[in-house]
Amino acid sequence: MEGKGIELNVGPVHPATHGVLKLVADIEGDTVKNAKVEIGFLHRGKEKIAELRYFNSYFPIVDKLDYVGALNWEILWASTVEKAMNLEINDRVKYIRAVMAEIQRIMSHLVYIGSFGQDLGNLTFFIWALRERELLMDIVEEISGGRLAPMYNRVGGVFYDFTDGIADKINAAISKIEEKVKKEYKAMTYGNSLFIMRSKGIGFMSQKVIKENGVTGPNMRASGIKRDLRKDEPYLVYDKVDFEIITENDSDVYARFMVRVREILESIKIIRQLLKDMPRGDTKISAPWIMKVPAGYTLVRHEMSKGEGAMFLVTDGGLKPYRLKIRSPSFYSLQALPLVLEGCKVADAFVITASMDPVMGEVDR
Amino acid sequence: MNEFADKLLKIFSNSSKAADDGAIELTDKKKLLKVVERIRKNFDILFMLTVVDKPPNFELNYVFSKYESKDILILRTLIKHEESVDSITNLFPSADWEEREAYDLFGIKFDGHPNLKRILLPEDWPGHPLRKDFVVTDEIKNWTGLDLKF
Repeated sequence: MEGKGIELNVGPVHPATHGVLKLVADIEGDTVKNAKVEIGFLHRGKEKIAELRYFNSYFPIVDKLDYVGALNWEILWASTVEKAMNLEINDRVKYIRAVMAEIQRIMSHLVYIGSFGQDLGNLTFFIWALRERELLMDIVEEISGGRLAPMYNRVGGVFYDFTDGIADKINAAISKIEEKVKKEYKAMTYGNSLFIMRSKGIGFMSQKVIKENGVTGPNMRASGIKRDLRKDEPYLVYDKVDFEIITENDSDVYARFMVRVREILESIKIIRQLLKDMPRGDTKISAPWIMKVPAGYTLVRHEMSKGEGAMFLVTDGGLKPYRLKIRSPSFYSLQALPLVLEGCKVADAFVITASMDPVMGEVDR
Repeated sequence: MNEFADKLLKIFSNSSKAADDGAIELTDKKKLLKVVERIRKNFDILFMLTVVDKPPNFELNYVFSKYESKDILILRTLIKHEESVDSITNLFPSADWEEREAYDLFGIKFDGHPNLKRILLPEDWPGHPLRKDFVVTDEIKNWTGLDLKF
């Protein structure tokens, strides 16, 4: 280190880094000259575990990849194996999965909003966001029996059908959330002058940085790139619903926050449409619990709450995967983080980190 | 298979061929940078890099994607376990962490990578766990200094 600067280690265990992320920042005065990101503190060898397990027995492991967006990853894993086996699933399953994916997306974004408020020193907001998330948690619990790691999907379908009258409960819950997001959240965050002062004009992520580092999802859409796999490469039943791709143009922390807030409202729109035309039918097809998958390469990608998640499955015709590679969207967001942090104030560094929405479970795998 | 892949196969007809699943198989790994340079004109990012251990070879699956469309291109090449391969970070900066991960978990050396060190595992971890011949040795068992059960 030259000059008067100091090297500051933040993390791996620090309330502002959301899990076990470590930042090593060179600081001069109050400015971050450059920053390094260290990951791997939550590495559990999930890709190795995949090679040791039957296809259906891997679901509990997938659940803990992104622990605030478990259902999205479950659906991706189920879709990957189904594509590798050439299985066609029932229409009802597609609808159920799409509803669950959107519920999970709202929950994930609510956690983002809450923890973001916490990083700004506003604990009230954390409690509020979790209060709204609890409404959906109860619904997921009633349907699947689980909360954070529901274990709801299996190859060929889902474990349980929707319970009686659940559609009304979902509608009631999302209406309540819609109202809160539009009114209370506006007063507390995106319409609040203090919040705007703290978040506008910091943490710029240009389109060049995004394209060089492979950043996807809401972080990318906040810089004006209109891309959403749900629209561009429709899977499940996303081609049958009407929704917008949310974009913002400012590419700063406030824009990244706003994309999430508006995506919650968009997801609510999608859920309402899906519940209205949900078809009848079976919730699973008879696929054996332990089965052989034909040899080959399978690549499936879905739009997760944090960006484009993908699974590259290599099979050799046996009972277990030969190799599974997981593309985690947060991994790429963190790769771009040092470039975004360069030149910011130390006090802003944590807000910028939080605005990228990294979840270490899926980064470290 | 899409138009671009066909064009690519025509240009590099001596060193590449089409695989069953629509991927492009590169038979001459010395041509990697040249092919990737051509791909760079049409694709934005390295979407993911999947290494598959097929003893005595490693199979590298480069998946490229672009922001404006849903196009995807898979480039596949084989290298021997002890061989190194050219880094594509100069052409696709998004390959930085992916190549570090491949080095970390498989022990593949990428020539020309600016910062090739472990990313997920600790710096002094013995071995590369995603290799098929990986076994839990005493060195690994005692690595933490704690009495762990494996």
